[in-house]
Amino acid sequence: MAPRKTERLLNLTIMLLSSRRYVPRERIREVVEGYHGLSEEAFLRMFERDKDELRELGIPIDTGSNDAFFDDEIGYRISRRDYELPAVEFTPEEATVLGLAATVWQQASAAEETTHALAKLRAAGIEPDASRLTALAPRLTAREESFAPLWQAVIARQVVEFSYRDSAESRTIEPWRLAFRSNSWYLLGHDRTRQAPRLFKLARISSPVKLLGKPDAFTAPTDAAIGDHFERLTTPENDLDTVLAIRGDRAPTLRRRGTPCDSPVALPPGFAAYRVPLASQGAVAEIASHGPDVIVVAPPALRAEVLAHLRGVLAAHEPQPKGGVR
Amino acid sequence: MSTSQEQMRRLLAMVPFLQSRPGVAVSEVATAFDITEKQVVADINLLFLCGLPGGMPDDLIEVDMDAVEGEGVIHLSNADYLTRPLRFTRDEAVSLVVALSTVSELAAGQVQAAALSAAQKLSAVTGHEDPVWLAMRTGDDRIREDLVAAIEQGRRVQLTYDGASRGETTRPLVDPVGIQLRDSVAYLQAWSLDRAAWRTYRVDRIAEVAVTDAAIEDHGAVPELAEGWFDSSDGEVTLELDATAAWITEYYPMRRVQRPATPGESTVATLAVADPLWLQSLLLRLGAGVRVREPEDAADAAARAAREALALTEQVCRSLD
Repeated sequence: MAPRKTERLLNLTIMLLSSRRYVPRERIREVVEGYHGLSEEAFLRMFERDKDELRELGIPIDTGSNDAFFDDEIGYRISRRDYELPAVEFTPEEATVLGLAATVWQQASAAEETTHALAKLRAAGIEPDASRLTALAPRLTAREESFAPLWQAVIARQVVEFSYRDSAESRTIEPWRLAFRSNSWYLLGHDRTRQAPRLFKLARISSPVKLLGKPDAFTAPTDAAIGDHFERLTTPENDLDTVLAIRGDRAPTLRRRGTPCDSPVALPPGFAAYRVPLASQGAVAEIASHGPDVIVVAPPALRAEVLAHLRGVLAAHEPQPKGGVR
Repeated sequence: MSTSQEQMRRLLAMVPFLQSRPGVAVSEVATAFDITEKQVVADINLLFLCGLPGGMPDDLIEVDMDAVEGEGVIHLSNADYLTRPLRFTRDEAVSLVVALSTVSELAAGQVQAAALSAAQKLSAVTGHEDPVWLAMRTGDDRIREDLVAAIEQGRRVQLTYDGASRGETTRPLVDPVGIQLRDSVAYLQAWSLDRAAWRTYRVDRIAEVAVTDAAIEDHGAVPELAEGWFDSSDGEVTLELDATAAWITEYYPMRRVQRPATPGESTVATLAVADPLWLQSLLLRLGAGVRVREPEDAADAAARAAREALALTEQVCRSLD
């Protein structure tokens, strides 16, 4: 029965928290009501399970001996200093923001943990209240199935194993950081299989994520070092110096990245030339997406690629020859 | 986590919560802990049975049950050993700190500063670092600050907006009501006076905000910008995507996705299309990697644009080659 068990767990916690000395197991058995009338074996089993459950909640149960000379007298206690949330004070503005933070997570397990964290802050006398901040609605989502186990693993610094991109090979990773960008979650970690840092898109993890071994199994590099890896693995370099002719106020995403320049050729009415630095990765698709609003003046190789891409569009959507359907 | 663990977790916060708020209403406790009032009373009834070992009445937690049943308020005492909450677990600390970083990404000015300082205080207390990086598209701090100020003061604004689907800059006059973060992108929700309808604008495409002297008007309830906010549009298109184009199923909200049974086959994806020009731009971007399954004429505009672009480029650049 759950209430009886909760009562036992709470009484055990209060007793260990109130005692300065280590309390021997036999004494615990005597005074905590829920342990009465059990066989030795049943008591030990129940006591072990109770301790595990309390530790899972984050309750620091110490094991030790009151007497340095008689180490057979093993007992238990909870140090108040390790148990209690240290004093922390927030300004009214910070309390408001904490209230808003409560609404951020749309992913179930992180939302639940946030709720518990805020319950603890309220218990410390803080009043998170977001009712003043109605103009802002920040939301954070994670739809990927692999998110919850990887979140656990990153927080606990536990090694994980999964397969990627439908390959049968399984990868063993020390997970360093999760990153959210362009509406996708990524994992950055040390790939033990490849012996190098690697970036994984969570949506492409193709097996359940297995947590291996114990927590705190590795040391992640410093923030700065991880940042460098991340930059290198994610940011394509602007390696192309292009001249684009853009129609009027069209293609703002390209236009705002560029600076006006002279055109080496006569442009159609309404077009102006811009010098735009671009990353070669993705440049062709980006330019092609603007159709006849953007013309590549230079370099010629990029222009040829864009033209080939546009011919691909035509080929893909040419009416199928099946008896004059249209 | 077992039921009794859940309850324990709650009670360890509830005892200090009640002691720091003598006479708090049962309803307020229910709201704070997100449980029913009935569960609050059940929790109280359990606390009443707990306390120091010894079994003497003095040893137990005291609750004024008459006040609970009569006025619906709680007075709890004799629990000096539980005046502070338990420390944060790593998971709690990190979840809250990441939530605060998200707030700071979307906020500006004082609110942003408060989110950052609150996160710093929490990290200092818990000793847990933030293991998450957020790269959100929320535009300029200055733009968000102007928008938040306009919303709070209830002022109409004129945006300079780099529309995505039409690929052109417009200057809509709008009544702003809120800024939301969805799928890593910040959106302004506003009533468009030109269109006489609620519209959503990507904040990172707003190049300028000019606050006017006009006060915003009441345009009725703001539609919820739900996760599937594209759902309100009526156009729908089904595409066959090869491996080079399948990324769109991870990038845009999809209505249905049928993954290939064997590698090499196409992914079939059905998505809502709010604006035909957005679809044209998508098809131009994907090039030869995509076929339209239905409606049959969905790619006509993209093909026309491609033909036009080819002709124009060849005409303009003829002298260069």
